[in-house]
Formats: sequence, structure tokens, C-alpha cells
Amino acid sequence: MIRKTRRKGTWLAATVLAVGSLFATSLPAYAETGVTSKEIKLGITLPLTGAASPGYNKIGNAMNAYFKYVNDNGGVYGRKVTLIQKNDEYSPQLSIAKTNELVLKDKVFALVGPLGTANYTSVHKSVGIAKRGIPSLFLNTGFSGFGSKKTYPTSFMVLPSYAMEAKIIAQFLKENHAGKKLGIVYQNDEFGIDGMGAFKAAGTKFDVSVAYTSGTQSAATAQTWVSQLAAGGAQVVVFFGVTSATAPLLAVAAGAKYAPQWILGSVGADPLTLRALGVPLAVLNGAQTPAGNPSPNDTSDEYVKQFQEVNAKYNAGTAFDDYVLQGMNIALMTVQGLRAAGSNPTRKKLISAMETKGSSFASVAYSPLGFSKTSNVGHTGYYMAVMDANGDRKPFGGKVKLYTTDSGSGPVVVSTFKRPAMPAKGLPSNS
Amino acid sequence: MRNFKFKRSLTLIAATSLLSITIVSIPTVAQAAPACTTANYVTTCLGATTDTAPYMLITPANFNGTVYLWSHGYRPNVDVPAGIPGYGGYKVTNTPEPAPGGNPQVIGALLAKGYAVMGSGFARQGWNANSAVKTNVELIGIYKKQYPKTTKVISWGNSLGGFQSQYLAEKHPELISSAGALCLSSDVTAISDTAADALWLIKTFFDPTIKGGNYSAGAAGYAEAMGDLVKVFTVIGHFQAAIAANPTAPAWPATSKVPDALKAVPSRSALVLTALLTGVPMQSAHFDSTSAPAGIPAASALSFQLAINPALAALENVANAAALATFQIYDLELQTGGVWYDNTATDWAARVADERFIWASALSGESATNALLGYLAAVPKAKANPDARAKVAGLGTHTGISKVPTVLYTGLADPILGASQQQSIIDKHDAYLAQQWPANRDAAVKKRVVNNLLPLWGIPAAKYTKFTAAGSPDTTVAATPGTNHCNFTVKQYVAIAELLAYAADNGKHLSGGPLLTKIRKAGNMTYDRGYVAPKMKN
Repeated sequence: MIRKTRRKGTWLAATVLAVGSLFATSLPAYAETGVTSKEIKLGITLPLTGAASPGYNKIGNAMNAYFKYVNDNGGVYGRKVTLIQKNDEYSPQLSIAKTNELVLKDKVFALVGPLGTANYTSVHKSVGIAKRGIPSLFLNTGFSGFGSKKTYPTSFMVLPSYAMEAKIIAQFLKENHAGKKLGIVYQNDEFGIDGMGAFKAAGTKFDVSVAYTSGTQSAATAQTWVSQLAAGGAQVVVFFGVTSATAPLLAVAAGAKYAPQWILGSVGADPLTLRALGVPLAVLNGAQTPAGNPSPNDTSDEYVKQFQEVNAKYNAGTAFDDYVLQGMNIALMTVQGLRAAGSNPTRKKLISAMETKGSSFASVAYSPLGFSKTSNVGHTGYYMAVMDANGDRKPFGGKVKLYTTDSGSGPVVVSTFKRPAMPAKGLPSNS
Repeated sequence: MRNFKFKRSLTLIAATSLLSITIVSIPTVAQAAPACTTANYVTTCLGATTDTAPYMLITPANFNGTVYLWSHGYRPNVDVPAGIPGYGGYKVTNTPEPAPGGNPQVIGALLAKGYAVMGSGFARQGWNANSAVKTNVELIGIYKKQYPKTTKVISWGNSLGGFQSQYLAEKHPELISSAGALCLSSDVTAISDTAADALWLIKTFFDPTIKGGNYSAGAAGYAEAMGDLVKVFTVIGHFQAAIAANPTAPAWPATSKVPDALKAVPSRSALVLTALLTGVPMQSAHFDSTSAPAGIPAASALSFQLAINPALAALENVANAAALATFQIYDLELQTGGVWYDNTATDWAARVADERFIWASALSGESATNALLGYLAAVPKAKANPDARAKVAGLGTHTGISKVPTVLYTGLADPILGASQQQSIIDKHDAYLAQQWPANRDAAVKKRVVNNLLPLWGIPAAKYTKFTAAGSPDTTVAATPGTNHCNFTVKQYVAIAELLAYAADNGKHLSGGPLLTKIRKAGNMTYDRGYVAPKMKN
């Protein structure tokens, strides 16, 4: 078949043009992709618009705010850190296209914080992240499969895995809700399945189990979830899904006067976002949730205090919430990774630095980091928290009780780990 | 799942025809020497090789000594009754094709530079890899005899013709100086199995009266095969109407005999699973698996992006694969003497170990996916006659070891898996190089092992689905570059021809800036050494 019309001006043309200019001119003095004498270019894909974007769409700007702060204070060995955000609308196919743009057109040094399990699975496979040796740091997903060093040798997690989270919730249920009728609503994909497998292994039996397909969350579908939970008499309901599903679930339940003890998984529990999505404070009051970080309102925490200051100056007008905190923390860890890669960073050096030094990085999260030459697992634990009448999050029982575990059959233990201190002025000086 | 209403009926698919459209006249029957006529400084010769395959030679008066040998793509080896989408009214033809589709612009561009072009119509249609290679070898000799000034032969072809060209590059480097294999078919077993998988899955999920092979002898078998083709398009037509009526939960075809419990799963998810199990791309001519109509609520848009658009992409691409399967199964049964398709050892679940997560929404979640896969695991499998199956492998495959500079080019979203097959050639070639480098070192061979492959890719845009003002997908627009089978422009064909000429003249590929400039000007042509296309599923 011969087609005579064609689309003009695709990015591919720009790509080959850009590549062509590389061939046509002499190589720059510093020849690692995405690194010049003045700049280190990084990229992230995440939903900036659409139904899945609430909350997530703050992460990139938060990262950029912190990078600007670092840049204004000398950068990383004199280089400015630049982050290019690409909107994938939470569509895996679009994630592939946008990551291809980052890699081929924008020529980023590394990916940082790519978001979504299905999204990153498709990107890793189709873009050839490992084959190209592209560092992919601090994935914004807790799918335990990404912890496979063999399959994902250049990728590094940051969140505790969903399996870890489920094991910790299972332990919490045993300790605090024994004998109650249990219900669960979970996303019926690798996210929820990761958690369900861990619940099962931990011996947690749910009296009511409701699965929903990603993308179907709405008030109408939430109605059916609530009906099933209420009909089954669930007294404690675990929710293992995204915020855009938490909101209709809680709103519909409140409307139906159904008020179980909610245990909201970490992914869908940001109070500020839930309130923005119309969930009344009264409904959130008392909800329990696993948390890795301190509350974004806890100004007694040195990390939170520093990040709030950065946010006020470099991300003005953006409410400081869990997503902003997470974004800034990823940026903080990224800067440590870049510094650890040395003054002449290469992709290989960055990966090596992550493996050999990454576990000692300063991070706002309370739990240890699991990076090593044989592990790309990030944080490894949670504490349980409870939301108060102001929508704030406080440690359950009044004090952080940190549980740590792994994604496999290891036990859940109470940890005495002390996280590293925030670098002075929030500016890493590691090497 | 959100409920969508298309205000106007959804019109999709005209299955992409795999047929090569020719514009040249039918030549004379077999003869010892070609009959030539000259007009406007161009000599056109018609003749036939010893196997009775008609050929055409077109040579300009200022012939520069280099001739392009074109091999056309797959043509069914049976007439197709009128009314069948994409193929209806087709009559078996061996009309020679001296350039892509006989396109006068491509021919004109080459003649203007002093190149000659030639091509055969081949003696046999259908899967003709082995016989067509022999025809081409003979045709090269005929041309050189007719034009002793000939110094170089450049072989190129698309689809099954890409097979011929790659084969010549591997087995007859003494006859050609460079080769172009476009949207090629490579391993006959892999591509035939893939197509047959698609047909078997359509039969299993949607219409068990599809025979799907073991066709009777003679006219009865032909009628059975064409009957299957009609049934395939009936299923496809059902989905067009059902998705238009209720995109969220389109009805299962009335012909489906899956258990009622399984019908609780949206039928579109079975369609998506069919695509994923066969490995056909999830981007099609009109559906990008990313877009949603403008102006609908955000939650609805996300559902459309994640679930509905992929189902429509699957529908377009599966239609192509299943139609090819009908022809291929029938043809290969004729050639091998029995049932050759076998899926007794197929692990369907393993085939979607990753994709089931990536396309979780389109598959309606884990439970639905497990239910569909469970059904496939439970139903009787297709079992081959071992002798027939063994014969299929003998009908043609590649080593991947090109011994002359070879350009590969395909769209990533080729529904006949051009990208996966191109990747298989690259993988085989890479394996050869990996083995050859240390072997040469150990043998103290100082000559550098040459990488003869120049793989180029046509990547579809991230978003290209068009919607009407009423919000319905618009399938009247041209297929997007990078999608459909062998969906190339004249510019792209000419660019490939120029790359092949350079390689023939220099014994190596154009590289660096000049290469990138050339492919940029051709449009939608990417050179990316780091790219790895999905592998074949079988």
C-alpha cells in the first residue's frame, strides 16, 4: 500500500535532527547523555491532567522547586539540575511515547520518579530502559515486582512495596482489630493483587472482598462497593486503591450512613487531596492509614520544616501536602545520588552509586532503605497513623511505631531504625 | 465502567488489504526471450521465467548499470468471493510488480536517475517463499543477459517480498549488492502460528462454528475456508455494531458459546486478550490506545483511554491477523498435506504475564483476565498432524546473517507483526556478530566483522485517533504512519531505494549525519540502535 499523505513535524523528525547534529559536530568535552558542564537533565512521566492526576500532578513541580533551591545554592558540583515533566495522563501507551521523547529527543541523563505500575512496566519493556542503561530512580509505585534486580537492573524503588504495606496492615489488624468483620476494596490489577497476595500469606481473611478495575472509579461504582460492604457487615474496611477511588468510596459511604473503621492504604490516603475531592473532614476523622513519612503538617520535623520553606519560596501558591513532600524528598535523594556519582557523572557511575551508597541517603521517611548491589528495594516500612478532626495525620497510639519487613515471607518487626538527619540547610554534601 | 454513547454509529475497519495493487498490464506467457518495446527512452520487457512466472523489466536509455529487483508481497492463492471486506472480488493474479505496488512515482524516480527496475509476479501465490526465490535468481540472470552492462543488482521487497529479499541477502550475496526488507515476513512458522492463534481465539471466544483448519479436499475445502473468512468478518462486524451501541459493555456475539458466567466479562476484554495473546500491536490504523473524545468528563475520558480505545485498536488489528490466518491455514494445508496448526503446548497465561498488568483496565481487571485465561486453558486444543507441521518449517525461514548491506524498515504498529519479525532478524544477526567477534579473535582474523543491518522504524505518533464532532471515532481518515501493514509513502520508498543504492555502491551503509538527514526528510523513519521491538509470542 502506498499512502501519499503524511503527518508533518512529528517529534521523531526533531529527534533525528538532533541526533544528526551530534554526528555533524565534534563531541562536547563532556560526553554523557544529558550532562554538560553546566547542566544535568532529568525526566519524569506522570499524569498532569485527567482523572488520575489529582495529587500526582503536584509531584513534578515539587521536585523542580527543590532542584531550583539546590541550583540557587551552587547546584550539583556546579551543574544546574533540570527536570522535564511529561504528561502521560496515566495511560501506559502514552507513558511509552513520552518516555521515548525524554530519552530520544530531550536526551535526559536519567528518569526520576516515573509514576504508575502499569505505566512503568510498559515503559521499561518498550523503551528498553535496562538495555540502554538508563538509570531510573525512585519509582513512584510500590509494585514489589520492581524489586527484582535481575529484571530491573537500572531501576530503583523508593516506596515500600505494596506487599510490605499489606503485611504491615495485616499485623496491625491482628493487634488492633481482632475479631472484627473485615472488608477490603482493592484495585484489581498488580497493585491490588500485590497486596492481596501478602494479606493471604499473612493469614488475613476478609469477609467481604470488592475488586474494582482501574479507571472505573466513580460515585456510581462506589455505590456498588458500599452496598456490598454494608450487606456483608464489614466493620473494618481496608482500601487498597488510588485517591480518585478513595474519594467516591468515602463520600458514598458517608451518604449511606455506613461508617466502618476505614484503613486507607498509603496510595489513596492524602487528606488534603481527599478534601479537595469533596470528602468531608468528619468522614476522614478517625481513618487509619499506614504512613512512611511524617505528616506534612508536622513542622517539628526537620525535613518537613525545610521542605515547607522551599515550597513557600519556589513553589508558591501550592499547598504543602503528602505529594509535595514526596516530590521534594525524591528530589533530595536524587541530588544525593548525583553527588555520589561524582563530579563527572555517568549513567554507570550513578547506578553504581545507588547500589553502594544509596542505603545511607537522607530521606524524610522513617524506615531504612534497601539499596545494595543485589537489591533495588527502597524504603522498607511503615508506621500506622490516624487522621484527626482537622484532617491531619498523627501516629496511631501517639508515637511512631515503625514496622519493617520485606516483600516476601520475612516477618514484620518493630524497628528502632533512626533515619539520617536532614543535611544542613537541606543541601546534601555527600560524595 | 463509564457508560459511553456514540451519537452516530461507529464505522470502523475495512480490514487492511494485504494485497499488492498493481497497475501494470498482464504480460505475455512463458517465453525464452522477453518481448521488449521502447517508448520515451524507456524499454519495457515482458517475459516469463521457466516456472511460467511473468516478469517485467523497465530500463531507461541512460541505464547506469544498477537494477532494482522488487519482490511483491503476499497475494492469496485463491479467488475471494465478492462482499468480503478488504478482499472481496480478488482474483488470483501473477501480474508482475517491478516496484512497490507498481507505483509510477517510485518507478519514475528511479528511472530518472538511470536505474532500471524489474519484478516478477511469481508462479505461485500464497506462501511462496521457496519458489519465489528460485524465480528471482533466474530473473537476475535473465536481466544480466538482456543487459550485459549490468553491474549491480539491488533486491528489495515488502511483506512476503521482504522475505525474498532478506533470503537473497543471506543465501545469494553473489547475486546482489544490497537488500531492502520492508515490513517483512520472516519465519514462516512463527508468523503463520501467530495468525492462526488469532483465528483460533476468535473461534474459541466468539464463534465455534469457524472451522479454522482441517479443510476438506477440493472445492469443499475452498468453500469452508471462504466460509471461515465470512464468519471472521461477521464477528468483526458484530463488534463494530456492539461497541458503537455500548462501548462499555458490548454484547457478546450471538454465535459465542462461552459459558454465561464468562459473558459477565465485557466481550471487548476478550478481544483485547486475543490481541495480546497473539502479540498484535495495541495501536492500529485509527486507534492509538491513548485518546478520548474531547469534552467528556475526566473520569469518562480516562476509561476511554484505558479501556475503550485499546479495544478498538485490538479490533482493527485482530481483523487483519485473522483474515491472513484464513488464507494461510488453507494454503499451508494444501502445501503440507494436513493440519499444521498446533497449540497443545501453548501457555496462554505466560504470554501475557506483563501485558495483563499494562492493559489491566482494557482487560477488565485481574479476575476477568483469569476467567478468560481459565476458559482457554479448559477448552480442547488444536492438534496438528506432526508430518504436516514439520513440513511448514521447510517453507522458509531466515538465519538473519545478511551478507550484503541490508536495510530493514517497518512500522511499529504493523498488525502483521512486521516489527517483531524485523526484531527477529536483528536478534539473529546480533547473535551471529556476538559469536563471530570472539571467533575471529581466536582465529587471529584481523578483518573486522561487519554489521550489515541498518534497521529503521516507523513510530506512530503518541496521539492520532480522530473523533467526529459528535464524539464518535472517525475511521475515514488515512491510516497513521507507523500503523497498518506496509503503510509507506512514496518518499519513504524512494529514501529506502537511495539508501540501498549508496550501500550497493560503497559496500556499506550510509551513516552519521547524512543518514539521519536522509531519513528525516523521508518522514517517520527512525534509526535507534537502542530500540527493541516486542518479540513474537510463539
